[in-house]
Amino acid sequence: MTTPTPRVGLAASADHIYATGLRNQWHPVVPSDFVAPGAMRKVTALGEQWLLFRRPDGALSMLADRCPHRGAPLSLGKHLGDRVACWYHGVEIETDGTVSSVPGLPGCNLEGKKLVTSLPVREIGGAILAYFGDEKHPDPAELTLPEPLTDPDVDAILCYAEWNGPWRFAVENLLDPMHGAFLHHESHTMYDGDTTAKFRIRETERGYFFEKTDQRGVNFDWVELCRTGVDWVDLTIPYPPSAGPGGPFGIVGMVCPVDENRTGVFFWRYRRVQGWQRDTWRFLYKTLIEERHWQVLEQDRVMLEAMPADADQRENLYQHDLGVVRLRRMYRAEAEAQASAS
Amino acid sequence: MTTTWPYLDIHQSRTHEPTPYEFKLAATLEEVFTKDGHELPDVIRGLNARQVHAPDGAPWTEESFRAEMNRLGA
Repeated sequence: MTTPTPRVGLAASADHIYATGLRNQWHPVVPSDFVAPGAMRKVTALGEQWLLFRRPDGALSMLADRCPHRGAPLSLGKHLGDRVACWYHGVEIETDGTVSSVPGLPGCNLEGKKLVTSLPVREIGGAILAYFGDEKHPDPAELTLPEPLTDPDVDAILCYAEWNGPWRFAVENLLDPMHGAFLHHESHTMYDGDTTAKFRIRETERGYFFEKTDQRGVNFDWVELCRTGVDWVDLTIPYPPSAGPGGPFGIVGMVCPVDENRTGVFFWRYRRVQGWQRDTWRFLYKTLIEERHWQVLEQDRVMLEAMPADADQRENLYQHDLGVVRLRRMYRAEAEAQASAS
Repeated sequence: MTTTWPYLDIHQSRTHEPTPYEFKLAATLEEVFTKDGHELPDVIRGLNARQVHAPDGAPWTEESFRAEMNRLGA
């Protein structure tokens, strides 16, 4: 079911927020290299249309894809270097959302006014993050970046993919480590370990761990949900000896709620390696390992895209689903709070 | 860069399709890591024992291996 999409700043129902992503926090949007210097790109995020605009010097901005004059998409317009001109009537918009010129009527009172929503953006690890505030929270929330993406002793490589399914299913999949022993049993990294387990939740200052009580370092045995201005997960999975020195590889995972039925997934595969070990890992990754990782990710995509839309409403959960239940309660409560505050 | 949904690209870290030499070297490295060990001397010995040499045909040294990995892995 498709519901009308309220713009950021307009009252949204809790259902709409839950379906299209929580507001007042940062979310990943697309990889940085999707927008070359001097280029622009139309994107959908949190159920709304946006324009990513990069100046020739590399500076990036993110504008609502809507001309303040008659609502035409700015993404059909012309890149003028430091501003965009709407194709319909030539209205020019600066990168902060200010109307700089109305060519058809010089001196028009639209000029000089900031009439287009412009989101704060950051780029990290090859991805664009943006802050999606509502009308009452336009100033960006404090953002603490995942340590594996900022630690110089850790080498991270981004994998981005687009899945047809609700964003929540993709996050829930990450808070469900046990699926590794079944869905990914034939993979190169998750073939080992018990197929029975007991789990516990362990609170942290930034979220919680969901982890096996009786096995670690064998399969996908734990995951940490981190809420640091952007929601992300951290986990590690052992590599076989063929991957060389450096021990297990980790994943920092993030999700872009594109709209209620589409999701962008961001997986940074990282390893604590330096020098020749780092170079060798990167060489093996590019040449052989990335494709194997992709096959594992495809198993997730096939399963999640085949899930019925009401999968999360007709279930019989058991102990392994504590991490998912907690996630849902948290997101649902936050969606309710954001809706009632708007 | 494609703008078609969905973006599903198996290879996102490559700058080029690996050459036969690169495939051979990578596969041999995996075998060496599995059978010979993870230390640099193990790797050099393992590659040379398998006659998988640098592009110029010379046996690997620690120096030449570091340089080649830096070139291929950067």
